[in-house]
Order: sequence, then structure tokens, then C-alpha cells
Amino acid sequence: MRAVTLLFAACSLYAQVTYDRLLKAADEPGNWLTYHGQYSSIHHSKLAQITPANVKDLELKWVVQAKSLEKHETTPIVVDGVMYITEAPNVVVALDAATGREFWTYEHPLPDVTYPCCGRVNRGLAILGNTLYLGTHDAKLIAIDASTGQKRWETVVTDYKKGYALALAPLIVKDKVIVGTAGGELGIRGFLAAYDAKTGKEVWRFKIIPEPGEKGNETWGGDSWKYGGGSIWLTGSYDPDTNLTYWGTGNPGPDWNPAKRLGDNLYTDSAIALDADTGKLKWHSQFTPHDEWDWDSVQTPVLVDHEYKGKMRKLLLWANRNGFYYVFDRVTGQFLSGTPFVKQNWAVGLDEMGRPVKAPGRGPSAAGTVTFPGVQGGTNWFAPSYSPVTKLFYLNTWDDYSSIFFAWDQDYEQGKWYAAGGVKAEVQSASRDRLNRRNPSAGYGATRALDPVTGKKIWEFRTAEVSESGILTTASNVLFTGNREGHFMALDATNGKLLWRKYLSGMAASSPITFLVNGKQYVTVAIGQALFCFGLRD
Amino acid sequence: MKVMTLAALSAAAALAQHSDTVLVNPFQTPDDRARGAVFFRSQCASCHGADATGGAGGPSLATGTFRHAASDEGLFKVITKGVPGTPMPGFSMNGREIWQIVGYLRSLSASRMAEQAAGDAAKGRAIVGAQKCTGCHWLHGGGSPRGLDLSTIGARLSVGELKRALVDPSAEVAPQYWLWEGKLKSGETIKGHRLNEDTFSIQIMDGAGKLRGVDKSTLAEQKLERRSAMPSFKGRMSEAQINDVVAYLATLKGDAR
Repeated sequence: MRAVTLLFAACSLYAQVTYDRLLKAADEPGNWLTYHGQYSSIHHSKLAQITPANVKDLELKWVVQAKSLEKHETTPIVVDGVMYITEAPNVVVALDAATGREFWTYEHPLPDVTYPCCGRVNRGLAILGNTLYLGTHDAKLIAIDASTGQKRWETVVTDYKKGYALALAPLIVKDKVIVGTAGGELGIRGFLAAYDAKTGKEVWRFKIIPEPGEKGNETWGGDSWKYGGGSIWLTGSYDPDTNLTYWGTGNPGPDWNPAKRLGDNLYTDSAIALDADTGKLKWHSQFTPHDEWDWDSVQTPVLVDHEYKGKMRKLLLWANRNGFYYVFDRVTGQFLSGTPFVKQNWAVGLDEMGRPVKAPGRGPSAAGTVTFPGVQGGTNWFAPSYSPVTKLFYLNTWDDYSSIFFAWDQDYEQGKWYAAGGVKAEVQSASRDRLNRRNPSAGYGATRALDPVTGKKIWEFRTAEVSESGILTTASNVLFTGNREGHFMALDATNGKLLWRKYLSGMAASSPITFLVNGKQYVTVAIGQALFCFGLRD
Repeated sequence: MKVMTLAALSAAAALAQHSDTVLVNPFQTPDDRARGAVFFRSQCASCHGADATGGAGGPSLATGTFRHAASDEGLFKVITKGVPGTPMPGFSMNGREIWQIVGYLRSLSASRMAEQAAGDAAKGRAIVGAQKCTGCHWLHGGGSPRGLDLSTIGARLSVGELKRALVDPSAEVAPQYWLWEGKLKSGETIKGHRLNEDTFSIQIMDGAGKLRGVDKSTLAEQKLERRSAMPSFKGRMSEAQINDVVAYLATLKGDAR
């Protein structure tokens, strides 16, 4: 009888990740529990074993090759020695974080035809309890047992045949799983939806494009709201103090013929703050009203408590694709400041509410219009970082480059590309060429540190090519990032000096993360078709 | 080899993968091409450019040669399935629409390449020999690797483009032929073509055709000029001679598709 009791005790189910652990994720830096590492999305770790002095001693611990040739955009989560990653299109893998060896894989079968705008990418997972959550290209939300890789339930989020797909890592808040959808180039009508984490039942839905009778619909000319875009393809943030969840919304559609959708086109290209329990809109701020350039505001909402004009404020920091760096009071949504952080010629400036005053003649045209920044913006979806140690904001920028924007007429058709224009640029949007032969004077990439309040540049590290990599900073002032050239680099977060680099070939289009294995600090990054893991030499 | 002209859609394309059947585009009327142009504009031009000469994300599709497809059937598959490892997704258009786009893309290079050369190809061949073009170019299994390979040049450049290349070679020069010159801190000077570059290094083919990696930290200075090493032949040859050379080069189609 005693033996049976002991066995039973040993077998009591391991509830991995409670909501309380997610709330306090920053305080257990040995793990990386959410896509952004913690609810404030600052991509910063308290780990400090790897320092500016010893980072040169990093060595490769393991590599995990993806089985797919499709773009590898996964940012892993790490829970008590187990790493969970995704591979394109919709594969989940559980790994031993110490060795890279796999425990199990889960493969979601997709229909032959789905509707990704630019590749069947997946950016990662969420976890609550012992369940992982995956968004799929056929617009489903799937719950997977973290021990076995078995599917627990699936929910149809929406009809993928209308151009919807899920590419983002879901966000857990309390007992809910929150997701948005991609499809801004396919005439979708975007939304953010929350599901019961146990059952998959929908709890609330916030429509990015309001319907007739709803506030904001008047910002859409005619029937244009029906195909207005407003995708959400990157994970948002959450502040337990305000109980608000913050998200960036995508471009209005069609992208490059704004005459098809007269008005401001709410709530596209906006920061939105929703009550996490009800999905009710608390406040919004639109960065690029009536967007003409495809400047999604799908950036990471960075939540920072910082002094502002002598007073501690709960701030929302936002380096936008439109080339301006914004600071908001995240409780009220009050616009505090906005300054350009790259060369731009589309706006004369921002008014006192943060609304841009557009320069004339910078929108797309039949003959083509040259506009700075180019179509990929001054930055994009790749994660910035904020360090509570240096009190600086870090981001990867694309500077001094333009695109030529073209517009043409086109009508909506279900499941078809609906952009009504195109773009030419010497700095390619999504190049996966092995060779960089472009004119160096066409633009450059730079990892930069900004003063979080003023947006003033503190330092920069310039690169020949641009970057689609996120940034990680640590308590020891090491900054990790990658780029399109295939380099994985460590910079000194205080001054931008290059401390260490390794050429891994292939581009980085994910965020580096850090965690502990048997008490030792490791760093991983997905580059090319593989996940690389580094640690200090034993 | 059997030629199949029925309205072959994606299922047939899949079947053909495992046989020696060649699928011929069944929708090749002028009306089909016009409709293909409309579909191209709405579905492809955002990335590949309104004139199909390339955009911010997609390569040119107007040259008549395609990196991921060697045949019409290959193009059909690329459009329906996408290209793994690139931003090119598979498209859900019906088979007829896809064939019409394929026909339109083929027509772009076909009309460009339709112009006939005015000169005498045999005379042109002799001039190419006398001018020692193979001092810089590769041709018929010999020559230098430094310049453009002439063996298939007639399949890639139109008569007008060939003529312009001879008269004004720097008007349009591919970046791998831009002139690069670097002075090393050691005092050595390297001249050549820049094949690749990143933040820390440059990959060069030097004047002798040797490949060299250059660490940027060893460079004292460098210069990149957006022009061709080839001189203009205007004035060096008569108009008639230039036309003869163009006529000869236009015959050099090799086995390029």
C-alpha cells in the first residue's frame, strides 16, 4: 500500500506553466516562457553569466536543422529544460534544451492551398499549464499537450479561404488565448479574438475594421470596409496593472491604391489597447491614417515604466514602420512625443495629437513615386529591446533607403491578392539571395540605441545589409542580434561596440533568446533553416 | 516524346511529372495573353513589377529565362505551388488563369527578342575573332571568365540590347561587373569585380579571374564604380561592322531555354 502511494505521488501531473509564472516570467530568467519573454515585451533577460568580457568564449552547443526549406521565423519558448519551437509551415517540436535532441514532433496537416501573403511562416507558440497553443495557416487555433505532442482540441478561428491565416505566436492572458490573423494583402477584415484556454470556445472578438453602425466605420469610403485589411500578425503585450492588452494592427487594403478606401481607415496601422477580459477598446492611436505605403503597425508594443519629465510614467514605446518613434502614456493612450528615427519624406511632422501632417505628392502613382522610408519602413516587426539596466531602447533600423510606389486599379475577388499597386526598390523587401551586390549607397542597416523618452540616437552599429532580426539584451549589458547577411553578433549595450560575431549563413528573421541549462546560460537564434545554440566554453 | 495539347490543368501537370509527356500551354491566343496580362497585374505585379522587370521582393520575369522553371509546365508549377525558401507563395487561381499568365510572361521576351539583326553573322564572327573578345569573355569553350559569357548571349539579349552593349556598355551593367578597386593597408592594390559583400568582407574576382576574399579591416580605401570595363566600340568599328557583330552574337543561343 505504501509503495502504491509513493508511485501515485511521483505520477501526479506536472502542471508546467501557471498564469502566475507567466506574470512573473522576468523573475525566472532560466526560462523563456512567452514569445516576447515577458508581458512587457522588452526582450531583456536578467541573466548575466555571459558578459562583455567573456562573450568571446561562446561556442556552439548544438544545431537543430529545420526539415522545411520555408522561411524559419520561430522564436522558441523554454520551460524547465524543454524548448518548444515551430517550423514552417505548422510543425511543433519539443527539444531537450541541453542537447537539441527531440522529444516529439507535431505536424498540423494543411490543405493544398492556403493564403499566406509571403511564405507559410510561423513565429512561435504560447504555453499555459501543460498545453501549447499554435495558430495555423488554415486559420485554426490548436491546443497541444506539452508532454506528448498530442492535439487536445482545435478551433476554427475563421474561414481561411477568404485570405486569413495565423502566423503569430498566441498570447495567453489569465485563462484566455488571444490571436489575430494575417491577410492584409488579401482583402480580409481583421480582428483580434480570445478563446477559453481549456475548451477553445471563443470569449470575445474585437473587429479591427468596424462594421456599419459601429464607431469608426465612417472612416471607410463606401463598401471599402468590407475588404479593409487590418491584419495582426505579431504577438501583443499585456499590463496586469491596467488589465489592458496592447497590439499593433496591419495595413489597410488594398495597400497601394488609397483612392479605393477614402478616409482614415480605422483601426488599421494603429496601437490598440483592449480590456483583456472583454476585448473592449480602451484607447487607440493611429500612426498612419489612410496609409498609402503598406506600413503595418505590427511592431512589438514595448511597455516600460520610466521617468518622463520628472515623473514616473507607465509608457508605451513604439518605433513604427512609418519611420517615427513614439512615446505614449499606456494607461490613457495620451500621445507624449514622436520623432523620426530614419530618413523620411512622407510627413512634414506630427501634430500635438501625434497625427502626421502628410507631405504632398508622396503617395503611390501610376508612374511611380519615390518615398522614404521604403516599403519595409524604418523598422518592422522584428523585436526591439529595452534594458532596465542601461535604460535605453534598442532596435534594428533600415535607413536612407526608398522605394518607388505604384498604384493601379483593381477590384476585390475572394482569395486573390488585393494590393492594387506595387513597389520597386534596390533594397529588397524579403531578399533571400545569397549574394549582396546592390549599390551600397541605396541604404544601410543599423542596430541603434535610442533615448527612450526623446528618441535621440545614443549609438549605432552600421551594417552593409539590413536586418530582420529581433534584439535581446541582458543584465550584463550584452546585446545579441542577427542580420540578413548571416552574422550573429554580440554588441556592448552601453556603446554599440562589436564584442563577438559568428557567421552562420542564411538570414535571421526571429528573436534571439536566452535561458539556463543546468545552471549555465545559453543563447539561441534561428538563422537560415536552423536553430543555433551557444554557451560559454566548458 | 508525345505532345499534349488538351486543356491540361494542375492534375494533368502532376501526372506529367512522372512521364515523358510535355505539356503545351493550351491557352495561347492573343486574347489569352491579354487576359494573362490583366491577371499578372493584379496578382503578381506587386512583387514582380508592373512591367514584370522585378520589384521590391520578386525578380524580373521578363527575360525569357526563369530561375525556378525550365518550361511552361515548370512555370505553371511555380505559380500553383510557390517556391519554398522564398517569399513566392502558391496561388489559388484556376488552371486557365495560370496558363494565361504563363503565356503572357513568355510573350514579354518573345516580343523583345523578335527583332531581327541587320548585319552579316559570318562577318561578325570574324570580327569577334579579330577583336579578341575572348580576352575578356568566354565563348565556345575558351576565353576569359572575367566578362559576360557570350555562349548564350543571343538567347538573353535582344538585338537592340546587344547593340547598346557594344556602343554604350556602361548604360546598363549588372552589378557583378561594376569596377571595384581596393588598396590594402599592406600597400597592395586589387582591381576586379565585386561578387558579394557584407559588413565585414568583400568577395572579389580580380583581373586575372582569381577569386579573392578581402577582409574589410585590411583595406585602406576602396572604390566601386557603376560602369563596365568594356570600352565602347563606337568609332572603333563602323556601323556596319557593329551590326555584323550583333548579328553574330544573336546566333549564340547555346542550349539556353
